[in-house]
Amino acid sequence: MPRPNKTQIEIKMEDVGIEIEQVERDSDDDTGRHGKTNRRQQNNKPSPAGARNNRNNNRSQPQARNGRRTAVEDDSEEEEEDEAPKPRRGNRKKLTKAQDSDEESEDEQPNRKTNKKGENQKHKEEPNNKEKQTDKKGKGKDKDKDDSKDKKKKKKKDSRYVLSSSSSSSSSSDDDSMSEGEMAKLMEEVEEKKKLVSNMRNKPWRMKRRLAALKEAQSFVEKFEGALGKGKGRRLFAYKKWIKFQRDFDNFKTSCIPWERKIKEVESHFGSSVASYFIFLRWMYGMNLVLFGITFGLVVIPEVLMGLPYGSIPRKTVPRAEQAKAMDFSTLWDFDGYCKYSVLFYGYYNDQRTIGLLKFRLPLAYLMVGIGTFGYSLMVVIRTMASNANESGGDGEDSDFLFCWKMFTSWDYLIGNSETADNKFASITTSFKEGIVDEEENQKDENIHLRRFLRVLANFLIVCSLGGSGYLIYFVVKRSQDFATRDNLGWYEKNEVEIVMSLLGLVCPPLFESIAELEEYHPRIALKWQLGRIFALFLGNLYTFLFALFDEVNQKLAVEESIKNATIWATHMHYANFTGNTSATPPPIDPADVIRGPCWETTVGIEFVKLTVSDIQVTYITILVGDFLRAVIVRFLNYCWCWDLESGFPSYGEFDISGNVLGLVFNQGMIWMGAFYAPGLVGINVLRLLTSMYYQSWAVMSSNVPHERIFKASRSNNFYMGLLLLILFLSLLPVVYTIMTLPPSFDCGPFSGKSKMFDIIMETIELDFPAFIGNIFSYVANPGLIIPAVLLMVLAIYYLNAVSKAYENSNLELKKKMQMQRDEEKNRRNNQDSTNSIMKDLEDLLPIMSGENKASTNKNDLPKTPKGADKQGGASRNGGRVNPEKEVSLAAQNPRIAVTRPPGPRPPGPLPGNPQLTVPGQRGRGPPQRVGRGQPRH
Amino acid sequence: MGCNASTLAKIHNVDELILETGFSSSHICHLYNRFHSLDKDDKGLLNRGDFQNISELAVNPLGDRIINNFFPDGVDLIDFNSFARTLARFRPVEESLKKEPDSPEPINSRANKLKFAFQLYDQDKDGKISNNELLQVLRLMLGVQVTEEQLDNITDRTIQEADLDGDNAISFEEFKKVRAKLSGHFLASSCLTSDWDLGWGYGVASL
Repeated sequence: MPRPNKTQIEIKMEDVGIEIEQVERDSDDDTGRHGKTNRRQQNNKPSPAGARNNRNNNRSQPQARNGRRTAVEDDSEEEEEDEAPKPRRGNRKKLTKAQDSDEESEDEQPNRKTNKKGENQKHKEEPNNKEKQTDKKGKGKDKDKDDSKDKKKKKKKDSRYVLSSSSSSSSSSDDDSMSEGEMAKLMEEVEEKKKLVSNMRNKPWRMKRRLAALKEAQSFVEKFEGALGKGKGRRLFAYKKWIKFQRDFDNFKTSCIPWERKIKEVESHFGSSVASYFIFLRWMYGMNLVLFGITFGLVVIPEVLMGLPYGSIPRKTVPRAEQAKAMDFSTLWDFDGYCKYSVLFYGYYNDQRTIGLLKFRLPLAYLMVGIGTFGYSLMVVIRTMASNANESGGDGEDSDFLFCWKMFTSWDYLIGNSETADNKFASITTSFKEGIVDEEENQKDENIHLRRFLRVLANFLIVCSLGGSGYLIYFVVKRSQDFATRDNLGWYEKNEVEIVMSLLGLVCPPLFESIAELEEYHPRIALKWQLGRIFALFLGNLYTFLFALFDEVNQKLAVEESIKNATIWATHMHYANFTGNTSATPPPIDPADVIRGPCWETTVGIEFVKLTVSDIQVTYITILVGDFLRAVIVRFLNYCWCWDLESGFPSYGEFDISGNVLGLVFNQGMIWMGAFYAPGLVGINVLRLLTSMYYQSWAVMSSNVPHERIFKASRSNNFYMGLLLLILFLSLLPVVYTIMTLPPSFDCGPFSGKSKMFDIIMETIELDFPAFIGNIFSYVANPGLIIPAVLLMVLAIYYLNAVSKAYENSNLELKKKMQMQRDEEKNRRNNQDSTNSIMKDLEDLLPIMSGENKASTNKNDLPKTPKGADKQGGASRNGGRVNPEKEVSLAAQNPRIAVTRPPGPRPPGPLPGNPQLTVPGQRGRGPPQRVGRGQPRH
Repeated sequence: MGCNASTLAKIHNVDELILETGFSSSHICHLYNRFHSLDKDDKGLLNRGDFQNISELAVNPLGDRIINNFFPDGVDLIDFNSFARTLARFRPVEESLKKEPDSPEPINSRANKLKFAFQLYDQDKDGKISNNELLQVLRLMLGVQVTEEQLDNITDRTIQEADLDGDNAISFEEFKKVRAKLSGHFLASSCLTSDWDLGWGYGVASL
């Protein structure tokens, strides 16, 4: 063996540097082949001699990235041809080709012989360590020798040394065109790499190392897999690429979700119910951003850029009488003055058919955006609801081992930061609490009749109070109409409606909540009821508001008629005066002086904007005072107060989910209704949502305490969406009504001069489209066509509904079946332990067997027992003795309660086959009473 | 931190240790460096305080118990060899290796890992996790925000879920079953399976 020689040569050669490889190669050709053949044989792939030679020739040094570890013990370090570090190998380069990756195969094949080369390279890299290295090298070499002699031993060692034996070479050919054998080799390598990738988890390497190796292997596979495959392989490769791209893209998308961290933090402290509000808020923000984009992109910005400037026509000018005060803050705060005559409101837009160089049809765009806002919102809400419904069906919460799971696995052992640890503590606590509440509800042993009675009673009370408040509202509104005709009114009479409304809003929600206590619903369901009831109450609010608004609009419409005549007359007089005096054309009237109508659309828009702004103010101030200030007082006054403020009377506020959700929903309703008359409203709303996201999450974290009963809510709450859909529909009605029936103002807005707003569509069809489209349109509008279409849609809805019901049913059936199977299994298991009384007696007679040996018996028996149900048996004393069917029936007769539980007043556990059992999982199986009693409701 | 022969030479009985733990020698080397970085006053022995300085353990509710598992009964200081031996349990299971039937169970087998985890909960070492022991763990994990009664409920429920033989305690066998179930149901279970030993073991080993 030339080896000892060689090493010495190498050591000497080190300094020479360049030459060393030559020598090395030569010696390797001798020595290395042995090992290589070995490996080759193991791989079962004969490779052409030429290729092998080539490979041997072109072995290159280990890369620096192998790092120090490789230096210490480099069992088999062999690499094949590299592209990059080659300038010194020009002579051999002729044959090399770009095919080779700089892969370092992590293959564990024993190929120790060549390792010294790796060491050698190390020498080059770290000349300073030379001495140590030689030392090491000698050592390693010895080892290798041994290993190569004794194969078995080698294998053992190998496994131990996986860590360091980084790479045995795998080859790749260097030729331009790949021959069959090379292809096969490459293929085999790819396979190896794949195996490596799949085994990576089990390798005892350091993470860094692991990552490096993984990356390398993957890039290798990636690079060559495609090249190898003809046809199918290539397609597969492309497909994989595509999948990978999709995954990356998904990751990217996830990282783009805004506020995810904030919401998670809130969720960990306050539970998923509070988080569901913030998720809803985020969703709303997203939707409003789109609405904002549509409105501003198609209406506001074109008008600003291309429309006539301020002051050019009467509708874009502040009237002379108002000009003095138009810039005052109080005026602007009421959205009067310059605000009123700005691009934010309907009245500012001109009725020119096209504006600017692009001939942008602004009136048409205005109408389309108004309709599109609703269309888009409807679509998005319904789509989200549908996808949420899908999701909720997918992840059936597994109630098996719920608490075990939480108890044994919830801690993340990698957490090293104390802040993160605090969050984790909070979230574990929260999740336990959620679990408890759920359990409690499941366990409740109820007096069904009493419960039903109480629920009916509660609903009756609430319907009564809703009816009462409804009547009160109606009454007050009627009275206010009376008042409107009179003159001498006191402060109360003027503001009666508002006062009554806010009183109702103040009193009713707590009242409902206390009535709902009677019902003893699960808090999740209770929240829904509460939301629904307050929603109904707030509808009254909406009703009064709209009522007042329509009154005002009707008034304005009446006034407008007279003003219209007056303006015509005034213009006439103006021109008449001039024509009377001189023959020249009269100078146009100053736009500020023109008599103008009341422009009811702008009035409506202003009302909505004002309402929204005041809503924002109220919400923010309530949070500031009701939550933050209260928390500050409670926190700091507590030091010098007679009783404990923190746990006593004022205490900290809880986050009011129902109030906040409804606030959001109603606010959105206002936006939908008002957006048509005040395009700027959408912008205001976007700002509001953005700020309230930060503001509320700050407030909730800083000054609220978690609910006493934290309950689990799904992250995507369809109930909120349902409310939103309802509000959308309700707000759609008045807007569509005004668009379709009321005549637009004669002197303001994009539709002035038309008798109805939608005439703009007719006009466009007539003027801009060829004639036949108009014909088609008139055919389509024919009732004879519309009615069948509607009928068809109804039928389709009916059919789809029936289908989905059927699917739902079958789904439920399957779930039941699965549950039953699980229960059966468990029962069988239990019966093996305890049912057979004779066996029990026997056990009692043999205390050693029954008690102490159990664990050991199990250990011994377990691997031997056949897979399946028997294996589940904790104690296999009589496992396999009875056939499964019999066991099941046995199980039916011997409920396991007798064993599992200390005696207590509990109805006997239901049996399999008993309908009760088939419902939800744990319930049937005689849970511990303690959980049932649960913590008292506070 | 040079990882080389000189380091290895300093370690007592390296070869034996390698055989016993299954660590490679570079790994041992690495561990040794880690050991020394933990060993603040360079006495070649670690006490409990040294472990408590690891932030991962300091914030871990079960940290003290994990530390205790490093120390056999009645010992307050451990040397490198026992340190490495304890850590060897965290080495990932090598599924690829064919097991020779007569070979002893490796120190990092799944069962041994589970045993380690089980011992975290089983404080009185009677082979069973009793009601009380679970209660203690819960107190560590949940803190003050939960009432005693709720804690009771949780422990009852947990035991009831896992208990198969009706002795109101979780034996090691039952613990194993639960783990099997859980890892079947929740692929992401990260506490006791290989992720955990990887994560934690290397957390300790590589910092």
